[in-house]
Amino acid sequence: MELIFQVLVSGLLIGGVYALISVGLNLIFGVVRIINFAHGEVLMLAMYATFWLNKFFGMDPYLSALLVLPAMFFFGVLVQRVIVQPIQEASSNMQIFATVALSLILQNLALIFWKGDFRTIQTSYAMSTLEVMNIIISVPRLVAFLVALVSILSLFSFLKHTFVGKALRAIVEDNTVARLMGIKVERLYLLAFGLGAAFTALGGILLIPFSSVYPTVGVPFTLIAFIVVVLGGLGSMSGTFMAGLFIGVVETFGGTYVSPALKEALYFGIFILVLLVRPQGLFGKGKGTEEIGLK
Amino acid sequence: MSANRWQLLGFILLAAVVAAPVLVDSKFILHMVTLIFFYVAMTSAWNIPVFGGKMSLGHAAFFGIGGYTGAILYVKFGVSPWIGLVAGVAMSLLGGVIMTLPLLRLRGPFFTLASIAFAEVLRMIAIDWRSLTNGSVGLNIPFKPGWANLTFQSGLPFYFISLILAAAVVFVSYRLRHSALGFHLRASASNDEAAQALGVDTRRAHFIGLLWSSGLTGLIGVFYVFFIYVVEPNTMFSIPLFSLQPALNGIIGGIGTIWGPVIGAVIMTPLGEYLRFYLGTIQQGLNFVVYGVVLIVTVNFIPGGIVSLLARLKPSKGSNGPGSPSGAKEVR
Amino acid sequence: MALLQVKNLTKRFGGLTAVKQVSFDIQPGEIVGLIGPNGAGKTTLFNLISGILNPEDGEIILDGRPIKQLSPARRSLAGLGRTFQIVRPFTMTVLENVMVPLLARDPHMGKAREEGMQVLTLLRLDHLADAQPDSLTLAYRKRIEVARALATRPKLLMLDEVLAGLNPTEISENLPIIRQVHERGVTIFIIEHLMDALMAVSQRVLVMDQGVLIANGSPQEVTSNECVIKAYLGEETPTC
Repeated sequence: MELIFQVLVSGLLIGGVYALISVGLNLIFGVVRIINFAHGEVLMLAMYATFWLNKFFGMDPYLSALLVLPAMFFFGVLVQRVIVQPIQEASSNMQIFATVALSLILQNLALIFWKGDFRTIQTSYAMSTLEVMNIIISVPRLVAFLVALVSILSLFSFLKHTFVGKALRAIVEDNTVARLMGIKVERLYLLAFGLGAAFTALGGILLIPFSSVYPTVGVPFTLIAFIVVVLGGLGSMSGTFMAGLFIGVVETFGGTYVSPALKEALYFGIFILVLLVRPQGLFGKGKGTEEIGLK
Repeated sequence: MSANRWQLLGFILLAAVVAAPVLVDSKFILHMVTLIFFYVAMTSAWNIPVFGGKMSLGHAAFFGIGGYTGAILYVKFGVSPWIGLVAGVAMSLLGGVIMTLPLLRLRGPFFTLASIAFAEVLRMIAIDWRSLTNGSVGLNIPFKPGWANLTFQSGLPFYFISLILAAAVVFVSYRLRHSALGFHLRASASNDEAAQALGVDTRRAHFIGLLWSSGLTGLIGVFYVFFIYVVEPNTMFSIPLFSLQPALNGIIGGIGTIWGPVIGAVIMTPLGEYLRFYLGTIQQGLNFVVYGVVLIVTVNFIPGGIVSLLARLKPSKGSNGPGSPSGAKEVR
Repeated sequence: MALLQVKNLTKRFGGLTAVKQVSFDIQPGEIVGLIGPNGAGKTTLFNLISGILNPEDGEIILDGRPIKQLSPARRSLAGLGRTFQIVRPFTMTVLENVMVPLLARDPHMGKAREEGMQVLTLLRLDHLADAQPDSLTLAYRKRIEVARALATRPKLLMLDEVLAGLNPTEISENLPIIRQVHERGVTIFIIEHLMDALMAVSQRVLVMDQGVLIANGSPQEVTSNECVIKAYLGEETPTC
């Protein structure tokens, strides 16, 4: 019985991070309407940056967020400007290949420059745990969850209450009308990509204490992020959060009770199920199906 | 140079490639040309759903299913590879049905994403289901030369087999494109709603297109395992090798056309091997970086591929011969 | 028996009722026009009948057969043809465009080619059979749209703004084609903003305003109808 709670808690904690990473994608996809196959690589780059800062300057991973996050923000802006903007109007098939190419390039550049070894950062708190009601909670995972929660709430607030946030939401709802209202859509694409990248990067940094870094570390996260976004419903931050937690829990239960190797089959199954049964996601705003790209 | 001159040059080049092993006695060239033919076949098979605008990146799944079916039947049950061919096609058709039915409702990028996931899942299953597939250790095709076992001492038989296979797949692709199915796929890619309003069952058209594609890919997979003898999950279900590579070939050559996949495969296969051996040994991963850059450049500047470059040379109002790109500009 | 029976058709988008309890019949052999101010719900009505949208309420019966549950493709096969307001011919030659619906009914290429040419000849497009539509003028592209729909051998052909965007010369060239098609036995249901054109060609006119059918009669009756006039002038029409 206790095991179930233990697994549940672990699942929720990691789910928070999944939610954070997916929120980044939700923003990018919702605003710019591009499927970014290189999403996981943003994570990977952030993790490597943190690793190197730690290696050369002894900087604590959480602290290095102060440097890495702005850097990844600019990286996101760069990707949007250089890779995505030229093909914004092209067929979505071509867009796919551009981001797939980007993903390939980034993974292999990482391989070339930093080799394939699994890197880890040792921190004093990596192994520390708390015990609450007979459930053991890993401190870094708890921190990750809390930071993710706070970040998502701030993003939610930003989108709801600031002018820029509202402009972004307007674009998500109806790009053409937003344009006609005078919103500088191209510039907001840059912002959305930058923000999305920054949030994703934060997710990566939060993973550092309990995950190694290697060139293909980001690959599974691209799929997870898409599943979470589809499950939660495009345009819904709370939906993404809930879906993130759900996927985290499902993954942890699946990994514990079924088989760790078949996690991906599980994700895929959920993905298909959602698409077939409730394509607009659990909390998707009504227009969901078109946005998600269903007929 | 006028379009016709380019076409002539192209044919001469193609003839040279085909004839090379006959003219030059080199195991390396023989192997390379055989590989080129395999990729011509694979790329043409991948290209069939592209007539309808569906670009799957999950074809490694069908390739692996076909290959493994043939290999498992032969190695574990002693079933002849020739029967394995039929079984391989049947299994990859089944895989096609499983992948396609739920996924066809998805638009372009989501379909592609889901297709990648499908291939990945199969790879994991192949690694995990050790009792069937020997897991990561893989299967080895025992070396018992003879046509009955589809295993040979010399590289020549596979040169002919792959040549015939390539020609057959290109031919099937040609016939499909110029059939009612081809028309419907192209119409759907162009404007799905209008096509439906005209009475075209576009879902069914895409489904059938994908079945052809998966079946052919599976067939090629079976031949391939007997060509390379070693069957293991990370190769047979490799997304870069059997999903991305055909897609890359297709895009560079010209997606949605008949000659595009051929041109793309003929150019990119030796290039890819070169990149892999020379750049790959200097620096592992460099070849993929080059692939990525080439892909981005192509997508940005010549989305219609080489075929579209050639088409630009023709005087404008040509009718749609085998070379007019569909899928490059259309959304779905 | 009426060729098309529409009963109490209703479509809501969230809080907005785009089509409200619309009922009318179209008899075989008629040419019926559909007019109304912008946003009246005309294209939505077309979309409901052709199957692109699903109604919240109501029935649609084509040639005695209820078609509400049928997909757009099946409705086409049942004899319903339609053109779209924003014409987008397929990226293939004009002849190939027309062959698409023919092949959906009979996959023989030779036959489709022949019949395709016949349709093109009827619409005076045969000299453009091998042309690419995007190199042609809007007027020609609109004609291709009609040719394509005609190739489906519709019992009822719905034309959505087939003359919009054309200059007077082009209109005078394309308008007789509508009559020609009608003479071949096709019942026509036409949305058109150009009053003169529509009135000239229609035997009966339906008028919609804000989702409601406010008039149904001959062109003369409709143009002198008070409600209709008010609707077009943007005035309130409480008694209609």
